[in-house]
Amino acid sequence: MPKRMVQLIFPQKLIKKPVIYTMAVKCKVVPNVRRAKVTETVGNMTLELEGTKENLEKGIKFLIRQGVKVEPVMGDVLES
Amino acid sequence: MKGLRCRECGRDFPAKALFVCEYCFGSLEVDYDYEAMHGKLTRAAIEKRPANIWRYRELLPIDGDPTVGFHTGMTPLFRAERLGKALGVKELYIKDDSVCHPTLSFKDRVVSVALSRAKELGFDTAACASTGNLGNSVASLSAKAGMKRVIFIPADLEMGKVVGSLIYAPNLVAVEGNYDEVNRLCAEIAGRYHWAFVNINIRPYYAEGSKTYGFEIAEQMGWTTPKHIVVPAASGSLLVKIWKGFKELHKLGLISKPESRLYAAQPDGCSPIVTAVNSGVDVIKPVKPKTIAKSLAIGNPADGYYATDAIRETQGGAASVTDAEIVDAMKLLAQTEGIFTETAGGVTVAAAKKLIEEKKIPRDESIVICITGQGLKTQEAVMDHIGKPIKIRPTLESFETEVASKTNL
Repeated sequence: MPKRMVQLIFPQKLIKKPVIYTMAVKCKVVPNVRRAKVTETVGNMTLELEGTKENLEKGIKFLIRQGVKVEPVMGDVLES
Repeated sequence: MKGLRCRECGRDFPAKALFVCEYCFGSLEVDYDYEAMHGKLTRAAIEKRPANIWRYRELLPIDGDPTVGFHTGMTPLFRAERLGKALGVKELYIKDDSVCHPTLSFKDRVVSVALSRAKELGFDTAACASTGNLGNSVASLSAKAGMKRVIFIPADLEMGKVVGSLIYAPNLVAVEGNYDEVNRLCAEIAGRYHWAFVNINIRPYYAEGSKTYGFEIAEQMGWTTPKHIVVPAASGSLLVKIWKGFKELHKLGLISKPESRLYAAQPDGCSPIVTAVNSGVDVIKPVKPKTIAKSLAIGNPADGYYATDAIRETQGGAASVTDAEIVDAMKLLAQTEGIFTETAGGVTVAAAKKLIEEKKIPRDESIVICITGQGLKTQEAVMDHIGKPIKIRPTLESFETEVASKTNL
């Protein structure tokens, strides 16, 4: 099954909500958290998502709709 | 070179084309056998070598001989008396990579190292995604290295910027999509094709090339380090690697303990590192860039966290500046030191000015301002801010009426 490495940045208002769990159940994507840091104002999580290509897209779109920033783990690669 | 090490969990990996730790997805960096080098790599040995980045080759990530970069580096570092006077400081220096060979930006350092290592790893194709300097450098140096080359650009990139890459006949791919879509596509392509994507799968080696900027500052200052260094920050990697370079020189006994303070300079329209430093948090919040300083427009900086870490470790600081301040600083640098830098250089000079005015950098200690690119590539940034030529008829009378009586000649 396809896998995707992603970095998620949660705004303060989402820190207490089970966003990852809801995405996993709703979109049939298996999340595997590799690293996380949560402060009072922001949450930062690096994880691997596994699912069918369609479900991965669905899951990522769901996270974005909730207000989570979804970024590649290597940061921006488009440089000057 | 010993191998690669995860910057987060410290796990070791072989020196292959890897860029993230398979356990924690942390980024990897090159580790060296410093003990084996100690006492063997001396100042005298380095000084005898040709004036290019490879004079520090033991501290660069290659096993054999380099492929490219034989004229890259050892750019001027000089006392900037006139700019120093304008900024009201006693001891100011400029490290000037606007004249770096062959494509006039510090990217030639990182790309020379990346391609030399890529050849050793068996790659025959170099790639990158770029809107300017990086594309120029990969296109040029991979031509010299005899490698196939693929450069991805956003489809709406101005023709003027395309020429600097297109002349080297790369496969220039214009992606019809926004900034995020280009980023995502390139990350996917890098995962699928066996290419040396310099700032993705070759990134640990590529980034090491920035250390040479720091090595040169120390060597050119007589094997000492300045008290303050103002560095333009895009991914944040240059700042991190200058500091790593100083620490390595110290570890090998080539300089005394570095006490430099590092400062990040970013434009207001893209300042995730400055925001993190000045608000005291260590999570970098990605931003959507909106600035004339295109070469610093990285909204989600790969080394942002490590840059804030280095700034805190050195008790440095950070400042962001407006587009107007950038243009004014470019003009100030040109009119005092005769250097036409790109907008990133304007950001650095303007940020230095701000840090000095805010008393974060004292006026009586040594300061180095890092200039990393050439202004001739981005003339549109200043085109409307530098006046026009004085038109005259071909007569002495016209000259005297229009010029001699109206100017201070």
